[in-house]
Amino acid sequence: MGGMNYTVVDSKRLATAEIYGKTLVELGEKDKRVVALTADLAKSTKIGDFKEKFPDRFFNVGIAEQNLFGIAAGMAKAGLIPFISTFSVFASLRATDQLHTDICYQNVNVKIIGTHSGTSYGQAGSTHHAIEDIAVVRSLVNLKVIVPADGIETANAVRAAYATDGPVYIRINRGFDQTVYADENYGFELGKGVLMNDGNDITVIANGSCVFQAVQAAKILEHDYGIHARIINLHTIKPIDKEIILKAAEDTRRIITVEDHTVLGGLGTAVGEVILEHGRACAFKKLGLNDCFSAIGFHEDLMHINGIDTDSIVKNAVDMMKHAHVVEITAEGKTTKALKFDDRNFEAEIDWTDEV
Amino acid sequence: MNDVIITQDDLYAARIFFNSALPLLKVVIQSKPEISAKFRNKRFVFQISALYNKAPDGKMATYFIFNKGDITVKVSEIHPKPDIELVFPDLKKFIVFFSGKGTPLPKMKGVVTHFGAFVAALKGLLAMAKLLGATDAPTDQADQELCVKLFFYLLPNGISQLNKAGQEKVRDFVLKSPDRAYAFAVTGYPELNSYIRVKEGNSKAGRGEYPRCKPFLTLRFDSVIHALDILMGKGDMVDYMANKYLTVEGAPEFAGTVGEFMLLVASYAKAAYMD
Repeated sequence: MGGMNYTVVDSKRLATAEIYGKTLVELGEKDKRVVALTADLAKSTKIGDFKEKFPDRFFNVGIAEQNLFGIAAGMAKAGLIPFISTFSVFASLRATDQLHTDICYQNVNVKIIGTHSGTSYGQAGSTHHAIEDIAVVRSLVNLKVIVPADGIETANAVRAAYATDGPVYIRINRGFDQTVYADENYGFELGKGVLMNDGNDITVIANGSCVFQAVQAAKILEHDYGIHARIINLHTIKPIDKEIILKAAEDTRRIITVEDHTVLGGLGTAVGEVILEHGRACAFKKLGLNDCFSAIGFHEDLMHINGIDTDSIVKNAVDMMKHAHVVEITAEGKTTKALKFDDRNFEAEIDWTDEV
Repeated sequence: MNDVIITQDDLYAARIFFNSALPLLKVVIQSKPEISAKFRNKRFVFQISALYNKAPDGKMATYFIFNKGDITVKVSEIHPKPDIELVFPDLKKFIVFFSGKGTPLPKMKGVVTHFGAFVAALKGLLAMAKLLGATDAPTDQADQELCVKLFFYLLPNGISQLNKAGQEKVRDFVLKSPDRAYAFAVTGYPELNSYIRVKEGNSKAGRGEYPRCKPFLTLRFDSVIHALDILMGKGDMVDYMANKYLTVEGAPEFAGTVGEFMLLVASYAKAAYMD
């Protein structure tokens, strides 16, 4: 793994999985039914704290993800609340049959924490990138799917999963996530999107690591172009918050979705389905991996290469604004909104002179 | 003209002194009331230059327009008729003088007729050189803050200048970079902040908080004195991070690159390549 020049201090401070581990300990203290399972990835998935605190409630099944899911299903049947931790790519693909049949079909109370999701395990390569997991898990019956934006939201998601009966899949990154929320008291609710920035020109719907990028993009769009972007953190993909999506479609008529995932079957698809089902017309663009595997490298660089970073969101938003804007049409005393396509020039000149 | 051989490193160092370091004279003057008072009713142009026959006008320069308390800095430009000018016979002597490696004195033009203004400008230059060359933190709190400000303004500007001058490592990094900003900050002292924005070969150094969005990476110190420790090479970065004197906000994997470029600017400012 070349170029790992961050320090141990950073990794401890920033890892989202670390926060998951601590929240799990908190739940373990509260409820003796909470047990933790892993397939030889306790260290990588940061549940070592739970192992130390509750050694008799911690189970390492070895490198055998299918068994991990089967055993967890059995434990749930016996009345326990198992939290499974493994890499997203293994949770969603290697153990799909067990997830489908042992957990979802039986609707058992198992919580699956998929770590190192999207391209966040950048240097480990395509075998460890989880770019299809949402497409798989959101199609499974009974399974709720959460994609937190940062460590703070991960803590909220884990608590919400514990408080919700039935299987839940939480998709988190490898770590080093940018902080989106200052604290946990911002009104997290399973199945409800969070309005991060209000605006009526365009809506950017993001989840996971893309939320931070979208929030920054909104600042740039306003600062450089005078474009007011509405930013929505759609942390729960299933059940999806139809209300917030439809309101955005109605208010802004332009929607961009951003996800660290293939554009086939993930957040963008889920949002598109809602819009289509309700017969709303709007300009629509999905940012994500376009039916391709990702390059290998630092996550931040991969986000740029894959077109899901701040830069790419800004470019796409400006492009969408160029081609369509909302006009109000008044006829017979009634005012309605419609899309007008044109070529508004939003190119901003950048002065690259150093300040002295 | 002279036949001194000017190397590529000389050109990088000269660029950092002319375009990044000398402009800080304005910051020093504005921060020190006892010096700025001397310029209150003065109107004159003060230029520092070094002869270099490959430059378009045969020399490189930075000049300051003092106009009754206002100061305008011009870099990469030559003033045709400055009131006072310090002229170094070649770039090497200019670098040796400002890096503190020696005292090859420049020719002084116009000093006699504008003696009071010259003395005041010289005081500002000496104060700046003292702060930038300090090996121990100043004892006065205001000087400590000014010292951090000078370094914070110098470093991103120096990195940007190296990019614009085509320094291989910096240029390669900036060419491949998407639109990103790297910031330097001390908690509770927003006036000390600075940043560099880079995008596909372009770079811009700025002062204050980055206005467009949260920077891609911020090196944030918890106090002025801890910032000085690191800037003066007295503190261990890993220890400081472990103790939370220094935090990396944003993408930690890129902190090493920024640190490397900071050291590069510092090495040119010390003309280390001449050792």
